[in-house]
Amino acid sequence: MRAAARCWDDVREGEELPGFSLELSATRMVLQVSGTQDVYPVHHDQAFARSAGHADIFVNTAFIRGCLCRVLTDWMGAGGFLRSLRFQMRRPNLMGETISVRGRVKKKRPEGLVDLEVWIEGAEGVTVPATASVTLPARA
Amino acid sequence: MAYDVKAVKQQWEGHETPLVWGRYPVEHEPIRRHCHMLDDTNPRFLEDGDCPPVMVDFFASLGPWPPADYDIFPLVARIPTPGDRLINLNQEFEWFLPVRVGDRLGARHKVVSVHQRGTRLDPLSVWIKTETTIVNQRQEVVAVRSNQILVHRTPEEIAAGSTRA
Repeated sequence: MRAAARCWDDVREGEELPGFSLELSATRMVLQVSGTQDVYPVHHDQAFARSAGHADIFVNTAFIRGCLCRVLTDWMGAGGFLRSLRFQMRRPNLMGETISVRGRVKKKRPEGLVDLEVWIEGAEGVTVPATASVTLPARA
Repeated sequence: MAYDVKAVKQQWEGHETPLVWGRYPVEHEPIRRHCHMLDDTNPRFLEDGDCPPVMVDFFASLGPWPPADYDIFPLVARIPTPGDRLINLNQEFEWFLPVRVGDRLGARHKVVSVHQRGTRLDPLSVWIKTETTIVNQRQEVVAVRSNQILVHRTPEEIAAGSTRA
């Protein structure tokens, strides 16, 4: 569905972004490799991942940032422009988990700029904290 | 022989690859697969031809097949380190221009820093920071990306006290 364009004037500091959740099922892990073309085995080969000391395979960087980008582009609508995204992958998001992707407006700045906090959380809390800045159009 | 991080820093910090163009222009089909993995139904990406911002490096890359140096991992793999297992820890993106289906993107990569600091995974872990600059067909910078990569040994290598470099 086409989201309405979001205007800078209508944004409130502290406003929560509508988030979404994804189950990291075996099928999702396959979609991850297809979607990112990242064939490093730690993301699809359990034996390889375990041999490196990991509990299981986990989603890759391109998947993680795709989630963070989606929560922002869903919210900002067609008129917005994503200017920056910074994130830390503190803990791996393992196959079998369900992750939630969330966000909040941190600060409005002049010239249409909005700073946000976005993050991914699993069963044990935040695994990927991030910050982002977007530019939104002014109300006509 | 102990790992000589000073020599590695001297050799690799500042090393920059030439500009390499992506194998294909920005296309609908990889965008559709990207959206599929995320349950993303945004018509900007699926119908209008806007490139999801985080896909610019994908289209600036030669991709994993046929075999070629692509993105930063082959570059990182050439840097001598005690282990060869890689984890991407942090990433930063800054975007300057929108990208659309039909654009042609290219990238050059730079090794910003190399240092050694132990982690829970490996006391001989090496941290490598890289910067990737992505340009369009007019050689305008559309995005800059930074990566913080951790290189470590396997538990077996640690137990055996073996190192690659």
